Amino acid sequence: MTAAVATRAVAPARSPGFGAVLRAEWIKFWSVRSTTWSVAMLFVLGAGLTVLVCASSAEWLASSEADESPASFVTWGLMIAQVTAVVLGTLVATAEYGTGMIRATLAAVPRRGAVLAAKAVVLTGTLLVAGTVTAFVGYLGGNAFLSAEGIGLSLDDEGVLRALFGSGLYLAGLGLLSMAAGLLIRHTAAALSTVLGLVFVVGNMAFVLPGAWGEWIAKVLPGNAGSVVATPVHFNPSLLEPWAGFALFAAEVAVLLAVAAMAFRRRDA
Amino acid sequence: MIVARELTKTYGTRTAVDGISFTVEPGHVTGFLGPNGAGKSTTMRMVLGPDRPTSGSVTVNGRRYADSPAPLREVGALLEARAVHPGRTARTHLRWLAASNALPASRVDAVLGLVGLEGVADQRVGRFSLGMGQRLGIAVALLGDPGVVVLDEPVNGLDPEGIRWVRTLARQLAAEGRTVFVSSHLMAEMALTADHLVVIGRGRVLADCPTSEFLARHAASHVRVRSPRAAELAALLRRSGPDVTVDGDSGELRVRGLDAAGVGDLAGAHGLILHELTLVQSSLEDAFMTLTADSVEYGAAPAGAAR
Repeated sequence: MTAAVATRAVAPARSPGFGAVLRAEWIKFWSVRSTTWSVAMLFVLGAGLTVLVCASSAEWLASSEADESPASFVTWGLMIAQVTAVVLGTLVATAEYGTGMIRATLAAVPRRGAVLAAKAVVLTGTLLVAGTVTAFVGYLGGNAFLSAEGIGLSLDDEGVLRALFGSGLYLAGLGLLSMAAGLLIRHTAAALSTVLGLVFVVGNMAFVLPGAWGEWIAKVLPGNAGSVVATPVHFNPSLLEPWAGFALFAAEVAVLLAVAAMAFRRRDA
Repeated sequence: MIVARELTKTYGTRTAVDGISFTVEPGHVTGFLGPNGAGKSTTMRMVLGPDRPTSGSVTVNGRRYADSPAPLREVGALLEARAVHPGRTARTHLRWLAASNALPASRVDAVLGLVGLEGVADQRVGRFSLGMGQRLGIAVALLGDPGVVVLDEPVNGLDPEGIRWVRTLARQLAAEGRTVFVSSHLMAEMALTADHLVVIGRGRVLADCPTSEFLARHAASHVRVRSPRAAELAALLRRSGPDVTVDGDSGELRVRGLDAAGVGDLAGAHGLILHELTLVQSSLEDAFMTLTADSVEYGAAPAGAAR
Protein backbone atom coordinates (compact mmCIF):
# COMPACT_ATOMS: atom_id res chain seq x y z
CA MET A 1 0.00 0.00 0.00
CA THR A 2 2.80 2.37 0.92
CA ALA A 3 4.56 1.61 -2.35
CA ALA A 4 1.40 2.39 -4.28
CA VAL A 5 1.10 5.73 -2.52
CA ALA A 6 4.62 6.60 -3.54
CA THR A 7 4.11 5.76 -7.21
CA ARG A 8 1.57 8.51 -7.77
CA ALA A 9 3.39 11.64 -8.76
CA VAL A 10 1.50 14.75 -7.71
CA ALA A 11 0.99 17.00 -10.69
CA PRO A 12 2.60 20.39 -10.21
CA ALA A 13 -0.22 22.74 -9.34
CA ARG A 14 0.07 25.55 -11.84
CA SER A 15 -2.41 28.10 -10.70
CA PRO A 16 -4.77 28.96 -13.52
CA GLY A 17 -5.19 32.70 -13.72
CA PHE A 18 -8.17 34.87 -14.55
CA GLY A 19 -7.66 34.10 -18.25
CA ALA A 20 -8.53 30.45 -17.63
CA VAL A 21 -11.71 31.39 -15.78
CA LEU A 22 -12.60 33.77 -18.58
CA ARG A 23 -12.08 31.08 -21.23
CA ALA A 24 -14.25 28.68 -19.22
CA GLU A 25 -17.08 31.20 -18.96
CA TRP A 26 -16.75 32.01 -22.64
CA ILE A 27 -17.12 28.33 -23.61
CA LYS A 28 -20.05 27.98 -21.21
CA PHE A 29 -21.74 31.10 -22.54
CA TRP A 30 -21.58 30.06 -26.19
CA SER A 31 -22.29 26.36 -25.74
CA VAL A 32 -25.99 26.76 -24.94
CA ARG A 33 -28.59 27.49 -27.57
CA SER A 34 -30.19 30.29 -25.58
CA THR A 35 -27.13 32.49 -26.18
CA THR A 36 -27.14 32.08 -29.95
CA TRP A 37 -30.89 32.62 -30.00
CA SER A 38 -30.78 35.71 -27.81
CA VAL A 39 -27.97 37.33 -29.78
CA ALA A 40 -29.68 36.48 -33.08
CA MET A 41 -32.96 37.93 -31.81
CA LEU A 42 -31.15 41.01 -30.57
CA PHE A 43 -29.83 41.60 -34.07
CA VAL A 44 -33.04 40.73 -35.91
CA LEU A 45 -35.25 42.85 -33.66
CA GLY A 46 -32.77 45.68 -33.17
CA ALA A 47 -31.68 46.15 -36.75
CA GLY A 48 -34.75 44.73 -38.49
CA LEU A 49 -37.37 46.75 -36.63
CA THR A 50 -35.34 49.94 -37.02
CA VAL A 51 -35.26 49.45 -40.79
CA LEU A 52 -38.94 48.51 -40.87
CA VAL A 53 -40.06 51.50 -38.82
CA CYS A 54 -37.86 53.93 -40.76
CA ALA A 55 -39.16 52.54 -44.05
CA SER A 56 -42.78 52.89 -43.01
CA SER A 57 -42.44 56.32 -41.35
CA ALA A 58 -40.01 58.05 -43.69
CA GLU A 59 -42.71 59.66 -45.81
CA TRP A 60 -44.63 60.90 -42.79
CA LEU A 61 -41.46 62.16 -41.09
CA ALA A 62 -40.59 64.15 -44.20
CA SER A 63 -44.07 65.69 -44.34
CA SER A 64 -45.17 68.83 -42.55
CA GLU A 65 -47.46 66.81 -40.29
CA ALA A 66 -44.49 65.15 -38.54
CA ASP A 67 -44.25 65.99 -34.86
CA GLU A 68 -41.31 63.69 -34.14
CA SER A 69 -37.66 63.99 -35.11
CA PRO A 70 -36.31 61.44 -37.61
CA ALA A 71 -33.38 61.14 -35.19
CA SER A 72 -35.70 59.34 -32.77
CA PHE A 73 -36.20 56.54 -35.30
CA VAL A 74 -32.69 55.45 -36.31
CA THR A 75 -32.25 53.24 -33.23
CA TRP A 76 -35.95 52.43 -32.77
CA GLY A 77 -35.53 48.63 -32.81
CA LEU A 78 -33.19 48.67 -29.84
CA MET A 79 -36.16 49.64 -27.63
CA ILE A 80 -37.59 46.21 -28.35
CA ALA A 81 -34.28 44.37 -28.65
CA GLN A 82 -33.34 45.28 -25.11
CA VAL A 83 -35.59 42.43 -23.97
CA THR A 84 -33.03 39.99 -25.34
CA ALA A 85 -30.26 41.66 -23.33
CA VAL A 86 -32.37 41.15 -20.20
CA VAL A 87 -32.92 37.49 -21.09
CA LEU A 88 -29.24 36.90 -21.80
CA GLY A 89 -28.10 38.62 -18.61
CA THR A 90 -30.63 36.78 -16.47
CA LEU A 91 -29.78 33.36 -17.90
CA VAL A 92 -26.06 33.83 -17.34
CA ALA A 93 -26.85 33.71 -13.63
CA THR A 94 -30.05 31.69 -13.26
CA ALA A 95 -29.20 28.86 -15.68
CA GLU A 96 -26.46 27.90 -13.22
CA TYR A 97 -28.91 27.63 -10.36
CA GLY A 98 -31.73 26.04 -12.33
CA THR A 99 -29.50 23.16 -13.41
CA GLY A 100 -27.40 22.84 -10.25
CA MET A 101 -24.39 23.69 -12.39
CA ILE A 102 -23.32 26.39 -9.99
CA ARG A 103 -21.87 23.64 -7.81
CA ALA A 104 -19.70 22.40 -10.66
CA THR A 105 -18.69 25.96 -11.41
CA LEU A 106 -17.64 26.74 -7.86
CA ALA A 107 -15.93 23.37 -7.45
CA ALA A 108 -13.81 24.20 -10.50
CA VAL A 109 -13.23 27.82 -9.49
CA PRO A 110 -13.79 28.39 -5.76
CA ARG A 111 -12.77 32.04 -6.12
CA ARG A 112 -16.28 33.36 -6.44
CA GLY A 113 -15.18 36.89 -7.23
CA ALA A 114 -13.29 35.60 -10.27
CA VAL A 115 -16.34 33.63 -11.45
CA LEU A 116 -18.52 36.70 -11.19
CA ALA A 117 -15.99 38.95 -12.91
CA ALA A 118 -15.52 36.47 -15.76
CA LYS A 119 -19.28 36.20 -16.28
CA ALA A 120 -19.59 39.98 -16.27
CA VAL A 121 -16.77 40.42 -18.79
CA VAL A 122 -18.16 37.79 -21.19
CA LEU A 123 -21.69 39.17 -20.97
CA THR A 124 -20.71 42.83 -21.20
CA GLY A 125 -18.30 42.21 -24.06
CA THR A 126 -20.87 40.30 -26.06
CA LEU A 127 -23.66 42.81 -25.53
CA LEU A 128 -21.38 45.76 -26.18
CA VAL A 129 -20.31 44.37 -29.52
CA ALA A 130 -23.70 42.92 -30.49
CA GLY A 131 -25.54 46.09 -29.43
CA THR A 132 -23.21 48.42 -31.27
CA VAL A 133 -23.11 46.33 -34.45
CA THR A 134 -26.90 46.00 -34.39
CA ALA A 135 -27.31 49.74 -33.94
CA PHE A 136 -24.96 50.49 -36.85
CA VAL A 137 -26.69 48.03 -39.17
CA GLY A 138 -30.11 49.35 -38.16
CA TYR A 139 -28.97 52.92 -38.70
CA LEU A 140 -27.47 52.17 -42.10
CA GLY A 141 -30.57 50.29 -43.25
CA GLY A 142 -33.14 52.66 -41.78
CA ASN A 143 -31.30 55.81 -42.71
CA ALA A 144 -31.29 54.75 -46.36
CA PHE A 145 -35.10 55.18 -46.35
CA LEU A 146 -34.85 58.49 -44.50
CA SER A 147 -32.23 59.77 -46.95
CA ALA A 148 -34.50 58.86 -49.83
CA GLU A 149 -36.99 61.34 -48.36
CA GLY A 150 -34.23 63.88 -47.83
CA ILE A 151 -34.29 63.69 -44.05
CA GLY A 152 -31.35 61.30 -43.56
CA LEU A 153 -28.88 61.76 -40.73
CA SER A 154 -25.13 61.67 -41.22
CA LEU A 155 -22.82 60.07 -38.67
CA ASP A 156 -21.52 63.59 -37.94
CA ASP A 157 -24.95 64.82 -36.90
CA GLU A 158 -25.31 65.53 -33.24
CA GLY A 159 -25.91 62.47 -31.13
CA VAL A 160 -25.82 59.88 -33.92
CA LEU A 161 -22.46 58.26 -33.16
CA ARG A 162 -23.15 58.65 -29.46
CA ALA A 163 -26.45 56.80 -29.87
CA LEU A 164 -24.93 53.97 -31.89
CA PHE A 165 -22.19 53.26 -29.36
CA GLY A 166 -24.63 54.17 -26.61
CA SER A 167 -26.88 51.32 -27.74
CA GLY A 168 -24.08 48.87 -27.04
CA LEU A 169 -23.35 50.53 -23.71
CA TYR A 170 -26.98 50.56 -22.64
CA LEU A 171 -27.56 46.91 -23.56
CA ALA A 172 -24.38 45.88 -21.76
CA GLY A 173 -25.53 47.75 -18.66
CA LEU A 174 -28.97 46.23 -18.88
CA GLY A 175 -27.41 42.78 -19.20
CA LEU A 176 -25.36 43.36 -16.06
CA LEU A 177 -28.41 44.63 -14.20
CA SER A 178 -30.27 41.45 -15.18
CA MET A 179 -27.33 39.26 -14.19
CA ALA A 180 -27.25 40.91 -10.78
CA ALA A 181 -30.98 40.34 -10.37
CA GLY A 182 -30.51 36.74 -11.48
CA LEU A 183 -27.78 36.18 -8.90
CA LEU A 184 -30.01 37.56 -6.16
CA ILE A 185 -33.24 35.86 -7.20
CA ARG A 186 -31.68 32.65 -8.65
CA HIS A 187 -34.84 31.74 -10.51
CA THR A 188 -35.19 32.42 -14.24
CA ALA A 189 -38.88 33.27 -14.43
CA ALA A 190 -38.88 35.36 -11.27
CA ALA A 191 -35.73 37.28 -12.20
CA LEU A 192 -36.94 37.88 -15.76
CA SER A 193 -40.31 39.19 -14.63
CA THR A 194 -38.68 41.44 -12.06
CA VAL A 195 -36.29 43.11 -14.48
CA LEU A 196 -38.72 43.30 -17.39
CA GLY A 197 -41.37 44.64 -15.03
CA LEU A 198 -39.02 47.26 -13.64
CA VAL A 199 -37.66 48.43 -16.99
CA PHE A 200 -40.79 48.27 -19.15
CA VAL A 201 -43.87 48.32 -16.94
CA VAL A 202 -42.83 50.37 -13.93
CA GLY A 203 -40.59 52.53 -16.12
CA ASN A 204 -43.51 53.55 -18.32
CA MET A 205 -46.18 53.68 -15.61
CA ALA A 206 -44.05 56.04 -13.54
CA PHE A 207 -44.74 58.83 -16.04
CA VAL A 208 -48.35 58.99 -14.88
CA LEU A 209 -47.25 59.73 -11.31
CA PRO A 210 -48.38 63.23 -10.40
CA GLY A 211 -46.22 66.29 -9.79
CA ALA A 212 -42.51 67.04 -9.83
CA TRP A 213 -41.91 64.15 -7.46
CA GLY A 214 -43.49 61.70 -9.87
CA GLU A 215 -41.54 63.08 -12.79
CA TRP A 216 -38.32 62.70 -10.83
CA ILE A 217 -39.10 59.05 -10.00
CA ALA A 218 -39.74 58.34 -13.68
CA LYS A 219 -36.46 59.95 -14.70
CA VAL A 220 -34.26 57.93 -12.36
CA LEU A 221 -35.71 54.48 -13.05
CA PRO A 222 -32.94 52.46 -14.72
CA GLY A 223 -34.65 51.83 -18.06
CA ASN A 224 -35.54 55.51 -18.44
CA ALA A 225 -32.23 56.93 -17.25
CA GLY A 226 -30.10 54.49 -19.26
CA SER A 227 -31.90 54.41 -22.59
CA VAL A 228 -31.55 58.11 -23.44
CA VAL A 229 -27.95 57.57 -24.49
CA ALA A 230 -29.09 55.04 -27.10
CA THR A 231 -31.14 57.50 -29.20
CA PRO A 232 -29.91 60.66 -30.96
CA VAL A 233 -33.12 62.45 -29.93
CA HIS A 234 -35.35 60.68 -27.42
CA PHE A 235 -39.12 60.56 -27.92
CA ASN A 236 -39.54 61.75 -24.37
CA PRO A 237 -37.99 65.20 -23.89
CA SER A 238 -38.54 65.19 -20.12
CA LEU A 239 -35.81 62.57 -19.48
CA LEU A 240 -32.30 63.25 -18.23
CA GLU A 241 -29.49 64.35 -20.54
CA PRO A 242 -27.91 61.34 -22.33
CA TRP A 243 -24.62 61.08 -20.45
CA ALA A 244 -26.06 62.22 -17.12
CA GLY A 245 -28.77 59.59 -17.48
CA PHE A 246 -26.27 56.92 -18.43
CA ALA A 247 -24.00 57.81 -15.51
CA LEU A 248 -26.93 57.44 -13.12
CA PHE A 249 -27.90 54.15 -14.79
CA ALA A 250 -24.32 52.88 -14.53
CA ALA A 251 -24.28 53.78 -10.84
CA GLU A 252 -27.54 51.90 -10.29
CA VAL A 253 -26.15 48.85 -12.07
CA ALA A 254 -22.95 49.08 -10.03
CA VAL A 255 -24.85 49.21 -6.74
CA LEU A 256 -27.07 46.24 -7.59
CA LEU A 257 -24.05 44.31 -8.86
CA ALA A 258 -22.17 45.03 -5.64
CA VAL A 259 -25.10 43.76 -3.57
CA ALA A 260 -25.35 40.66 -5.79
CA ALA A 261 -21.61 40.05 -5.53
CA MET A 262 -21.75 40.28 -1.76
CA ALA A 263 -24.65 37.82 -1.64
CA PHE A 264 -22.91 35.51 -4.13
CA ARG A 265 -19.78 35.39 -2.00
CA ARG A 266 -21.63 34.76 1.22
CA ARG A 267 -24.50 32.47 0.38
CA ASP A 268 -24.27 28.72 -0.09
CA ALA A 269 -24.53 27.76 -3.71
CA MET B 1 -6.18 13.40 2.61
CA ILE B 2 -9.38 14.95 3.87
CA VAL B 3 -9.60 16.08 7.48
CA ALA B 4 -12.88 17.27 9.02
CA ARG B 5 -12.88 18.76 12.49
CA GLU B 6 -16.06 19.46 14.45
CA LEU B 7 -17.80 20.18 11.16
CA THR B 8 -21.26 21.63 11.72
CA LYS B 9 -23.94 22.92 9.40
CA THR B 10 -27.24 24.33 10.51
CA TYR B 11 -30.09 25.57 8.35
CA GLY B 12 -32.15 27.86 10.56
CA THR B 13 -32.98 25.69 13.55
CA ARG B 14 -32.33 22.41 11.79
CA THR B 15 -28.90 20.89 12.30
CA ALA B 16 -27.92 18.89 9.23
CA VAL B 17 -24.38 18.08 10.31
CA ASP B 18 -23.63 18.10 14.01
CA GLY B 19 -19.95 18.49 14.88
CA ILE B 20 -18.53 15.58 12.95
CA SER B 21 -14.82 14.77 12.77
CA PHE B 22 -13.17 12.23 10.51
CA THR B 23 -10.08 11.67 8.41
CA VAL B 24 -10.00 10.19 4.93
CA GLU B 25 -6.61 8.62 4.23
CA PRO B 26 -4.91 8.16 0.86
CA GLY B 27 -4.55 4.69 -0.59
CA HIS B 28 -7.93 3.51 0.68
CA VAL B 29 -11.52 3.68 -0.37
CA THR B 30 -13.36 5.31 2.50
CA GLY B 31 -17.08 4.74 2.47
CA PHE B 32 -19.34 7.45 3.80
CA LEU B 33 -22.47 5.71 4.84
CA GLY B 34 -25.77 6.88 6.19
CA PRO B 35 -29.48 6.82 5.46
CA ASN B 36 -30.99 9.48 3.21
CA GLY B 37 -31.01 12.81 4.99
CA ALA B 38 -28.20 11.84 7.36
CA GLY B 39 -26.04 14.74 6.20
CA LYS B 40 -23.77 12.97 3.71
CA SER B 41 -24.28 15.33 0.80
CA THR B 42 -24.17 18.40 3.04
CA THR B 43 -20.84 17.21 4.41
CA MET B 44 -19.47 16.57 0.93
CA ARG B 45 -20.59 20.00 -0.23
CA MET B 46 -18.73 21.53 2.68
CA VAL B 47 -15.59 19.61 1.69
CA LEU B 48 -15.86 21.03 -1.83
CA GLY B 49 -16.80 24.57 -0.93
CA PRO B 50 -20.21 25.41 -2.38
CA ASP B 51 -21.61 25.22 1.15
CA ARG B 52 -19.77 26.83 4.03
CA PRO B 53 -19.62 25.19 7.46
CA THR B 54 -21.54 26.96 10.23
CA SER B 55 -18.61 26.04 12.46
CA GLY B 56 -15.66 23.69 12.38
CA SER B 57 -13.37 23.13 9.47
CA VAL B 58 -12.54 20.72 6.71
CA THR B 59 -9.27 20.64 4.82
CA VAL B 60 -8.07 18.81 1.75
CA ASN B 61 -4.33 18.10 1.70
CA GLY B 62 -3.92 20.51 4.58
CA ARG B 63 -5.76 23.51 3.24
CA ARG B 64 -9.26 24.69 2.56
CA TYR B 65 -10.54 23.58 -0.83
CA ALA B 66 -11.19 27.20 -1.78
CA ASP B 67 -7.50 28.01 -1.25
CA SER B 68 -6.33 25.40 -3.72
CA PRO B 69 -4.61 27.04 -6.71
CA ALA B 70 -5.92 24.45 -9.19
CA PRO B 71 -8.74 22.62 -7.43
CA LEU B 72 -9.58 20.17 -10.20
CA ARG B 73 -5.99 18.87 -10.22
CA GLU B 74 -6.19 18.36 -6.49
CA VAL B 75 -9.74 17.14 -5.88
CA GLY B 76 -12.17 15.59 -8.32
CA ALA B 77 -15.77 15.41 -7.27
CA LEU B 78 -19.06 13.93 -8.34
CA LEU B 79 -21.48 15.95 -6.26
CA GLU B 80 -24.63 15.79 -8.31
CA ALA B 81 -24.72 13.90 -11.54
CA ARG B 82 -27.18 16.42 -12.91
CA ALA B 83 -25.11 19.51 -12.20
CA VAL B 84 -24.93 20.01 -15.95
CA HIS B 85 -26.84 22.32 -18.27
CA PRO B 86 -29.07 19.95 -20.26
CA GLY B 87 -28.46 21.92 -23.45
CA ARG B 88 -24.72 21.42 -23.39
CA THR B 89 -22.96 18.39 -24.84
CA ALA B 90 -20.85 16.14 -22.66
CA ARG B 91 -17.77 17.34 -24.51
CA THR B 92 -18.43 21.07 -24.06
CA HIS B 93 -19.23 20.50 -20.40
CA LEU B 94 -15.83 18.89 -19.94
CA ARG B 95 -14.16 21.49 -22.17
CA TRP B 96 -15.19 24.45 -20.04
CA LEU B 97 -14.19 22.63 -16.88
CA ALA B 98 -10.78 21.84 -18.37
CA ALA B 99 -10.37 25.46 -19.46
CA SER B 100 -11.22 26.74 -15.99
CA ASN B 101 -8.25 24.94 -14.47
CA ALA B 102 -5.93 25.27 -17.48
CA LEU B 103 -5.98 21.50 -18.02
CA PRO B 104 -4.80 20.22 -21.40
CA ALA B 105 -7.67 19.60 -23.83
CA SER B 106 -6.43 16.03 -24.24
CA ARG B 107 -7.82 15.25 -20.76
CA VAL B 108 -11.35 15.72 -22.12
CA ASP B 109 -10.98 12.86 -24.59
CA ALA B 110 -9.08 10.80 -22.04
CA VAL B 111 -11.87 10.88 -19.44
CA LEU B 112 -14.61 10.46 -22.05
CA GLY B 113 -12.87 7.24 -23.05
CA LEU B 114 -12.33 6.20 -19.47
CA VAL B 115 -16.04 6.36 -18.60
CA GLY B 116 -17.16 4.98 -21.96
CA LEU B 117 -18.97 8.04 -23.26
CA GLU B 118 -16.91 8.64 -26.46
CA GLY B 119 -19.85 7.60 -28.61
CA VAL B 120 -22.25 10.15 -27.14
CA ALA B 121 -19.78 12.94 -26.35
CA ASP B 122 -21.44 15.34 -28.78
CA GLN B 123 -25.01 14.67 -27.67
CA ARG B 124 -26.84 17.08 -25.44
CA VAL B 125 -26.69 16.00 -21.84
CA GLY B 126 -30.45 16.49 -21.49
CA ARG B 127 -30.93 13.31 -23.54
CA PHE B 128 -28.69 11.24 -21.28
CA SER B 129 -30.06 8.43 -19.15
CA LEU B 130 -29.46 8.54 -15.41
CA GLY B 131 -26.57 6.11 -15.82
CA MET B 132 -24.94 8.15 -18.60
CA GLY B 133 -25.29 11.29 -16.49
CA GLN B 134 -23.60 9.47 -13.65
CA ARG B 135 -20.75 8.43 -15.93
CA LEU B 136 -20.34 12.02 -17.09
CA GLY B 137 -20.19 13.10 -13.44
CA ILE B 138 -17.40 10.61 -12.84
CA ALA B 139 -15.61 11.87 -15.95
CA VAL B 140 -15.78 15.35 -14.42
CA ALA B 141 -14.32 14.03 -11.17
CA LEU B 142 -11.37 12.45 -12.97
CA LEU B 143 -10.75 15.31 -15.41
CA GLY B 144 -7.88 16.88 -13.49
CA ASP B 145 -6.26 13.52 -12.64
CA PRO B 146 -6.69 14.46 -8.99
CA GLY B 147 -5.10 12.87 -5.93
CA VAL B 148 -8.35 13.12 -4.01
CA VAL B 149 -11.60 11.79 -5.46
CA VAL B 150 -14.96 12.52 -3.83
CA LEU B 151 -17.97 10.63 -5.18
CA ASP B 152 -21.44 11.33 -3.78
CA GLU B 153 -23.73 8.34 -4.42
CA PRO B 154 -21.88 7.30 -7.59
CA VAL B 155 -23.87 4.12 -8.18
CA ASN B 156 -27.28 5.82 -8.16
CA GLY B 157 -29.06 4.96 -11.36
CA LEU B 158 -26.40 2.58 -12.61
CA ASP B 159 -27.15 -0.92 -13.83
CA PRO B 160 -25.34 -3.89 -12.22
CA GLU B 161 -22.56 -3.68 -14.78
CA GLY B 162 -22.16 0.03 -14.04
CA ILE B 163 -22.16 -0.56 -10.30
CA ARG B 164 -19.36 -3.06 -10.71
CA TRP B 165 -17.48 -0.65 -12.91
CA VAL B 166 -17.66 2.09 -10.25
CA ARG B 167 -16.54 -0.36 -7.58
CA THR B 168 -13.54 -1.48 -9.63
CA LEU B 169 -12.71 2.10 -10.54
CA ALA B 170 -12.82 3.27 -6.91
CA ARG B 171 -10.57 0.43 -5.81
CA GLN B 172 -8.19 1.07 -8.69
CA LEU B 173 -7.97 4.78 -7.87
CA ALA B 174 -7.19 3.93 -4.25
CA ALA B 175 -4.59 1.38 -5.33
CA GLU B 176 -2.88 4.17 -7.28
CA GLY B 177 -2.45 5.95 -3.97
CA ARG B 178 -5.32 8.37 -4.27
CA THR B 179 -7.67 9.35 -1.50
CA VAL B 180 -11.11 8.02 -2.41
CA PHE B 181 -14.19 9.14 -0.49
CA VAL B 182 -17.43 7.54 -1.62
CA SER B 183 -20.85 8.08 -0.12
CA SER B 184 -23.74 5.69 -0.29
CA HIS B 185 -26.84 4.67 1.53
CA LEU B 186 -26.31 1.08 0.40
CA MET B 187 -24.45 -0.86 3.05
CA ALA B 188 -23.92 -3.97 0.96
CA GLU B 189 -22.33 -1.97 -1.84
CA MET B 190 -20.03 -0.18 0.57
CA ALA B 191 -18.97 -3.43 2.22
CA LEU B 192 -17.68 -4.57 -1.16
CA THR B 193 -16.04 -1.28 -2.11
CA ALA B 194 -14.72 0.40 1.00
CA ASP B 195 -11.72 -0.44 3.17
CA HIS B 196 -12.80 1.99 5.80
CA LEU B 197 -16.22 3.25 6.84
CA VAL B 198 -17.47 6.49 8.28
CA VAL B 199 -21.11 5.95 9.22
CA ILE B 200 -23.32 8.90 10.01
CA GLY B 201 -26.89 9.26 11.11
CA ARG B 202 -28.74 12.45 11.95
CA GLY B 203 -25.59 14.47 11.32
CA ARG B 204 -23.41 12.59 13.80
CA VAL B 205 -20.65 10.04 13.32
CA LEU B 206 -21.89 6.65 14.49
CA ALA B 207 -18.86 4.63 13.46
CA ASP B 208 -15.43 5.35 12.02
CA CYS B 209 -13.42 2.17 11.58
CA PRO B 210 -12.13 -0.36 9.06
CA THR B 211 -14.93 -2.13 7.21
CA SER B 212 -13.88 -5.53 8.62
CA GLU B 213 -14.04 -4.19 12.15
CA PHE B 214 -17.43 -2.62 11.52
CA LEU B 215 -18.76 -5.91 10.22
CA ALA B 216 -17.34 -7.88 13.13
CA ARG B 217 -18.81 -5.45 15.61
CA HIS B 218 -22.18 -4.69 14.10
CA ALA B 219 -23.11 -7.52 11.78
CA ALA B 220 -24.35 -9.63 14.66
CA SER B 221 -24.46 -13.36 14.30
CA HIS B 222 -26.03 -15.98 16.50
CA VAL B 223 -26.38 -19.72 16.66
CA ARG B 224 -29.80 -21.18 16.18
CA VAL B 225 -30.20 -24.46 17.98
CA ARG B 226 -33.21 -26.73 18.27
CA SER B 227 -33.38 -29.48 20.77
CA PRO B 228 -36.15 -31.55 22.39
CA ARG B 229 -34.51 -30.65 25.71
CA ALA B 230 -34.12 -26.98 24.96
CA ALA B 231 -34.76 -25.77 28.51
CA GLU B 232 -31.96 -27.91 29.92
CA LEU B 233 -29.61 -26.81 27.15
CA ALA B 234 -30.47 -23.17 27.76
CA ALA B 235 -29.61 -23.49 31.44
CA LEU B 236 -26.30 -25.16 30.59
CA LEU B 237 -25.43 -22.46 28.05
CA ARG B 238 -26.16 -19.67 30.48
CA ARG B 239 -23.83 -21.21 33.00
CA SER B 240 -21.09 -21.79 30.39
CA GLY B 241 -19.75 -18.26 30.28
CA PRO B 242 -20.43 -14.68 31.29
CA ASP B 243 -20.84 -13.46 27.66
CA VAL B 244 -23.32 -16.11 26.63
CA THR B 245 -26.92 -15.06 26.22
CA VAL B 246 -29.78 -17.31 25.27
CA ASP B 247 -33.30 -16.49 24.26
CA GLY B 248 -36.14 -18.18 22.44
CA ASP B 249 -38.60 -20.87 23.39
CA SER B 250 -40.64 -23.79 22.04
CA GLY B 251 -37.53 -25.81 21.45
CA GLU B 252 -35.65 -23.17 19.40
CA LEU B 253 -32.90 -21.14 21.04
CA ARG B 254 -30.86 -18.19 19.80
CA VAL B 255 -27.41 -18.25 21.34
CA ARG B 256 -25.05 -15.33 21.30
CA GLY B 257 -21.51 -15.27 22.64
CA LEU B 258 -20.71 -18.86 21.75
CA ASP B 259 -20.03 -20.28 18.30
CA ALA B 260 -21.76 -23.31 16.80
CA ALA B 261 -18.90 -25.64 17.73
CA GLY B 262 -19.05 -24.48 21.34
CA VAL B 263 -22.78 -25.12 21.51
CA GLY B 264 -22.40 -28.53 19.89
CA ASP B 265 -19.58 -29.54 22.21
CA LEU B 266 -21.55 -28.50 25.27
CA ALA B 267 -24.65 -30.40 24.14
CA GLY B 268 -22.58 -33.49 23.34
CA ALA B 269 -20.79 -33.46 26.67
CA HIS B 270 -24.14 -33.56 28.42
CA GLY B 271 -25.73 -36.05 26.10
CA LEU B 272 -28.34 -33.62 24.77
CA ILE B 273 -29.78 -34.35 21.36
CA LEU B 274 -29.76 -31.50 18.85
CA HIS B 275 -32.17 -31.24 15.92
CA GLU B 276 -30.57 -28.18 14.43
CA LEU B 277 -27.36 -26.24 14.89
CA THR B 278 -27.03 -23.27 12.53
CA LEU B 279 -24.87 -20.17 12.45
CA VAL B 280 -27.13 -17.26 11.51
CA GLN B 281 -25.30 -14.23 10.12
CA SER B 282 -27.48 -11.14 10.08
CA SER B 283 -27.09 -9.13 6.90
CA LEU B 284 -25.04 -5.97 6.66
CA GLU B 285 -28.22 -4.11 5.87
CA ASP B 286 -29.62 -5.29 9.19
CA ALA B 287 -26.51 -4.10 11.00
CA PHE B 288 -26.72 -0.75 9.29
CA MET B 289 -30.42 -0.41 10.03
CA THR B 290 -29.88 -1.29 13.68
CA LEU B 291 -27.10 1.24 14.02
CA THR B 292 -28.91 4.06 12.28
CA ALA B 293 -32.25 3.28 13.89
CA ASP B 294 -30.55 3.90 17.23
CA SER B 295 -29.47 7.29 15.99
CA VAL B 296 -33.03 8.11 15.03
CA GLU B 297 -34.26 7.18 18.50
CA TYR B 298 -31.39 9.07 20.00
CA GLY B 299 -32.34 12.15 18.03
CA ALA B 300 -36.06 11.94 18.70
CA ALA B 301 -35.97 11.48 22.47
CA PRO B 302 -34.62 14.92 23.52
CA ALA B 303 -37.08 16.65 21.21
CA GLY B 304 -40.00 14.88 22.89
CA ALA B 305 -38.62 15.60 26.33
CA ALA B 306 -38.34 19.29 25.58
CA ARG B 307 -42.06 19.65 25.09
